[in-house]
Amino acid sequence: MNVSVKRIQAIFVKDYKEFYRNYAISTMVLMPLALAFIYSMTGNMDLQSLFMPINLTFAMITAFIQSCLIAEEKEHNTLRSLLLSPASIADVLIGKSALVFVITVIVLGMCMWILEFSPANLAAMGVALVLSTLFYLAMGLIVGLYTKTVMEASVGILPVMIVFSFGPLVLLFADRYPVLEVFQWLPSAQLILLEQYSVTGATSDIIVSLVVLAVWAVVAVSVSAILFKKRMSDE
Amino acid sequence: MSVTIKMENVKKSFSRFEALRNVDLEIQSGEILGLLGPSGAGKSTIIKILTGQLDPSSGTVMIFGESSEQVKQSKTRKRFGVLTDNSGLYKRLTIEENLKMYCDLYDLPVSAMDEALEFVNLVSSKKKKVSELSRGMMQRVTLARAILHKPELLFLDEPTSALDPVNTHHIHEGLRKLNAKGTTILLTTHDMYEAEALCHRVAFLHEGEIRESGSPKELKDAYRNDVIEVELTCGESHELPVNQVATMDKMREWAAAQRIRRIHSNEPTLGDLFMRVTGGELS
Repeated sequence: MNVSVKRIQAIFVKDYKEFYRNYAISTMVLMPLALAFIYSMTGNMDLQSLFMPINLTFAMITAFIQSCLIAEEKEHNTLRSLLLSPASIADVLIGKSALVFVITVIVLGMCMWILEFSPANLAAMGVALVLSTLFYLAMGLIVGLYTKTVMEASVGILPVMIVFSFGPLVLLFADRYPVLEVFQWLPSAQLILLEQYSVTGATSDIIVSLVVLAVWAVVAVSVSAILFKKRMSDE
Repeated sequence: MSVTIKMENVKKSFSRFEALRNVDLEIQSGEILGLLGPSGAGKSTIIKILTGQLDPSSGTVMIFGESSEQVKQSKTRKRFGVLTDNSGLYKRLTIEENLKMYCDLYDLPVSAMDEALEFVNLVSSKKKKVSELSRGMMQRVTLARAILHKPELLFLDEPTSALDPVNTHHIHEGLRKLNAKGTTILLTTHDMYEAEALCHRVAFLHEGEIRESGSPKELKDAYRNDVIEVELTCGESHELPVNQVATMDKMREWAAAQRIRRIHSNEPTLGDLFMRVTGGELS
């Protein structure tokens, strides 16, 4: 794989300049922070409430911003020009994901600080958050590749936001409708379960949660990479 | 002289539509070749195949003696530049920021950007945001980006389609200078004057096939009318065959009587030739 740090850095810097000049997208980072602030004012929170701003960060920032950045590149034919330069597909994919990754890490950190949330198992939660970030980055990339404009991408990302952010809430009805238990396998639900297992010290369950998250991340990243290569051809 | 581009029996189909049929094309290094054809003739498809954006359905494509698969490699991409018909510029960034990123991608010093901007006459505007530029200026920035790394081979898809005559002249001068330094150029155009002014050879592309190719002079000679048109002061117009004694006698007679207003050689333009060869129109 042909990867150049200088080329990745060039794409990252370009994306950063474009991002902070695009208020429609850059102001999105305030949403999870505002939600975290409101939740923190309510006092005693259960894990469902605690993870809502965190899961929303993944949907509204990681997936949404990534999909918009990719769709905008497609809309203005800049992605094609980028791929005609010496930048490899790996350079472009890593460079374009790096900015959103950094923003996600900062916003997640700020959300956890506002919520005064300190994970019971910091290492396991750290790995889980990184795997989740990779998964949502890939989801954003897939939506961005399937849409032609930023407008289409912002609509196309809605199912991802609804299913993955609000999926864990469905589990509240699982007692009445057992079929809904399938939602516990969502990455967003696994984050909550991981924290529960960490509190009780169930190591094997923690590992299962991390494996589930890793499978989601690997599958999504692989699909997005294949799709990216395919979509960049005019066939 | 070595061969920079070689296409042999290249076909390209999209579902049932045949965009290219048995295209054979060879471009020598240091040559400027113009692909002339109307919209939909297959000009952009050829450029996309040569730049690795599309794979041919069949046939052989070689660039710099390497297969079309190699074109997708970074080291080969550094050897050519592309100007496409759609700008591909980041509109929220300035001209300078756009080109700076490409300097980094090509691992070039910033001085390369200034040279390229000088080439397209945009040094004084480099701090302007791309969103504030006219279409012609965007075209010039795209050209600056294509030549930033001094490529050995330049693909230009309608390079002056959005430019006014002054800037077109400026760009033509620059392209001649680049070519004099050894850059091979493949340009597509439906502007026959541009093709005639710039190209060493032209190829007529029609419905996915190259119908004719050669230097503008060779083609004009091959399809010339051996007839001159003489317009007299009385308003009469006569078409006379060249190289015939009777024609010379007539001319002498009219000249002695000072009756000749104008003589037209009736040399066909590239546009005329294209229509004769293909039965179609250029625009």
